[in-house]
Amino acid sequence: MITNQASANSLPLIRPEINYSRRKLANKLMLSFTGLLTLAALAPLVWIIGFVAIKGSQTITWAFFTQLPRPLGMAGGGVLNAIEGTLILTIIAAFFAIPPGILAAIYVADHPNTPLGASVRFSTDVLSGVPSIIVGLFGYALVVKTQGHYSALAGGLALAIIMFPIIVRTTEEMIKLTPRNLREGSLALGAPEWKTYLSVILPAAIKGIITGILLAVARASGETAPLLFTALGNERYEIGQIISSGIRSRQGVWSIFNRIIEQPVDSLPLTLFKYSQQPYPERVNQAWAAALVLIGIILALNIIARLWVNYSSSNLKGK
Amino acid sequence: MQPIQMRAVSLNTSSLSYKIRKQLRYGDKPWSGLLIGMAGLVVLLMFAIGLLIWNGSAEARLQAGLAFILPTLDASWNPITENYQAWPFIYGTLATSISALAIALPISLGIAVFLSELCPEWLRQPLGWMVELLAAIPSVIYGLWGIYIFLPQIVAPLGSLMSEVFGSLPALGLLFSGSIPESGQSRLAAALILSIMITPTIAAVTRDVLLAISSSQREAAFALGSTQWETIWQVLLPYGLSGILGAVILGLGRALGETMAVTMVIGNSIEGSASLLRPGYTMSSVIANEFAEAYNAMHTSALIYVSVILFILSVLINILARLMVWRVARQTPQEARA
Amino acid sequence: MEINQSSRLTDKNRTHPFILSELDSQPQPSAQYPAFAPKEAEQIIIEIKNLSLHYGKFKALGDISMSIPQNKITAIIGPSGCGKSTLLRSLNRMNDLTPKVHIQGQILLDKVDILGANVDVVEVRRRVGMVFQRPNPFPKSIYENVAYGPRLYGIRKRLDLDNLVEYSLSQAALWDEVKDKLHQSGMALSGGQQQRLCIARALAVQPEVILMDEPASALDPVATLRIEELMHTLKKSYTIVIVTHNMQQAARVSDFTAFMMIDNPATRTGVLVEYDKTIKIFTNPENKQTEDYVTGRFG
Repeated sequence: MITNQASANSLPLIRPEINYSRRKLANKLMLSFTGLLTLAALAPLVWIIGFVAIKGSQTITWAFFTQLPRPLGMAGGGVLNAIEGTLILTIIAAFFAIPPGILAAIYVADHPNTPLGASVRFSTDVLSGVPSIIVGLFGYALVVKTQGHYSALAGGLALAIIMFPIIVRTTEEMIKLTPRNLREGSLALGAPEWKTYLSVILPAAIKGIITGILLAVARASGETAPLLFTALGNERYEIGQIISSGIRSRQGVWSIFNRIIEQPVDSLPLTLFKYSQQPYPERVNQAWAAALVLIGIILALNIIARLWVNYSSSNLKGK
Repeated sequence: MQPIQMRAVSLNTSSLSYKIRKQLRYGDKPWSGLLIGMAGLVVLLMFAIGLLIWNGSAEARLQAGLAFILPTLDASWNPITENYQAWPFIYGTLATSISALAIALPISLGIAVFLSELCPEWLRQPLGWMVELLAAIPSVIYGLWGIYIFLPQIVAPLGSLMSEVFGSLPALGLLFSGSIPESGQSRLAAALILSIMITPTIAAVTRDVLLAISSSQREAAFALGSTQWETIWQVLLPYGLSGILGAVILGLGRALGETMAVTMVIGNSIEGSASLLRPGYTMSSVIANEFAEAYNAMHTSALIYVSVILFILSVLINILARLMVWRVARQTPQEARA
Repeated sequence: MEINQSSRLTDKNRTHPFILSELDSQPQPSAQYPAFAPKEAEQIIIEIKNLSLHYGKFKALGDISMSIPQNKITAIIGPSGCGKSTLLRSLNRMNDLTPKVHIQGQILLDKVDILGANVDVVEVRRRVGMVFQRPNPFPKSIYENVAYGPRLYGIRKRLDLDNLVEYSLSQAALWDEVKDKLHQSGMALSGGQQQRLCIARALAVQPEVILMDEPASALDPVATLRIEELMHTLKKSYTIVIVTHNMQQAARVSDFTAFMMIDNPATRTGVLVEYDKTIKIFTNPENKQTEDYVTGRFG
């Protein structure tokens, strides 16, 4: 230990020239390294999308979109069943996920500090971390087992569980972003709470909510694991045929509807998976084409959601 | 001017018609009932999932007990003799996820540092979006690209290289023993693809943590004559450490639950080797592959038992991650960097 | 103890790339405001020549020239928004961190223009240290906060670091209060202590000049007083430039005072109105605007 006055001269003198060049070199190296790492991380993105585009486009034909699969080993055919399956599954999932999701989000936004509100937050976090295969198991146990058969309904429910946390989280954030005075103004006019929400707050937050829905749909449309034992797959599925045959045999609307949702269905990712495992090159090629369609849909949804975000945030600022 | 005519309304508050009209006009009670119901549904859902798989695994749990999950050198998974040991799957999940984390960590840190400190302002959003896009690519497409492109072109040659270089080392060599199959199907393949898939998660959260660090810390470091790298490495990263840890654990959670891409490239075999270069199996993969064609009720129950382990693991890790990220969010001082 | 470093800058055997630039022969006086230099023969450590600064299109500083004497305390005062902090931050090139900044003119530190192209910013910032308005210690221990700087410069031996830490904390009048808890977090100290910790941290890299940007404005009066006493002690070894909105503080503490103002409400460019010994500025200023400000007629 030294005192102030004495041996102050024994203090080491800071001499920057000692390690100056080493510091500068280290700085340059590490900074360029981070740039390199960023490029390295983005390389797979370009690689994957590039390959999907190249390989997939080789097999994309009009027939691909409009025909059902041909028997194994035969060339040609399409994935109409998968496209329609994806559509139905998404509609069912949206139906089950969106209204409860928005309502639960409203509750959490209003009562963030109650035990129920905190529990909902916690559950949303937990649900978003549940592996999708387990969601599929849940769907199996809940629907398939009780009904005795695989169905689009089961698959749609499983996908709904996947969409649910995303919708709750984004809706809650959007509601919290709407200005307080909107709500207070409406309530002060004597409007009941439900009307306040339906006519004032939700319309104000709608663009953000739609963004959340689009992102949730994009996520759900790419999921395979939950569908493995709920929707299972169905190469003969074609809604047009179901409807027309139903009309011809004079079945009621309800029974036609039933036939649409109570059958096993394919989806694009599910078809992709199954085809990729098969030893027939035609099927593998179609897997690439299905990948291209799937990436196209997901990219489109993401881009639209982005544009919504830019549009909606500038809208909110304008207010 | 005429006085306003008041419409005569019955004030009999006990009449049924009044009560009905009141509810229809205001509807607050049904509304909050609806909200509470839906909120309760979320919580119920979480418990329902846990409960259902717990029940479904009852048979297997009773029979196999804890020996099911214990590490063992020659595990068997035999539906016919009903001898089930899940250790190969647990090992597979842990080995691939942790390896993926080790690979993704430096890359994600690099991206986060680049995006928050070095990148020019106009490039930040587009690059950040591109990194997020990596997370939007479906798992199956990673698998497809993996099987036909990534594995033959990169993983297989890399694996042979690794077995030459590391295979004969004393302790580490165990992880690199044996040779990688020609197809490239191996735990290494799964780890590599998983690392690509979880990088966006870790990078995005880390970038947000760094951006939230008050600029006064940077100013203090620069005013002392630090280079940019010294500021980042010695001041900013230590400052955001708990948030970064949370990001890492979040990434781990994602890796644990990944199914399709892993199933397609890991080889799906319980060979008995611990090596990363050999094919393996994960908890999610075995469920995906065997559930639909389960041999009997016990087999099904055993698979559900596996899912219970996976569920508990994912939920615990997810909660841990959220706790760490929340803690950082509450700690950061008022002035955040614009 | 005085660590005389000016000689190192001109040492021709030095391999340090802190390059000498060509010197202008005479300072160019600006049109409206003449160049200021203290009339007594003080040794000048920083000379500012025709400094103008733009944030994008906005001209924040207009053609400022002044000479800062060594081992004295120079205060920069003026109404808020007149560019005092901007001027201060130019002296250690902290404005480089702000996007879209353009600087013209020269700032000579020991006769080398720190705005020159070949100058190393890192070394400039070591020689011209800064203490900020809100104390900003690192989330490390007190010891590590002070040792941060010396470690950067390769000082690794435990004994050296211990000595440096003790010396810096003593100079910052903090040693006695923290010597038994050096390994506690720096952020656990009180506001005044944190600020002195930041001063110690800045002193540890052996600067020549210490810039202080309203160092006591976030502190209570007792802590403020301690900082002001500290400044008197420090000026024996260092040069201090302080920005303050508190005129009384400037009058108490400084030897020289520079008064800045906005030239007109339309352009809002900060200019140097008057610069002289503190006594003169506060008792008998030349400029009417200065007089109005120090007597409290506006501001």
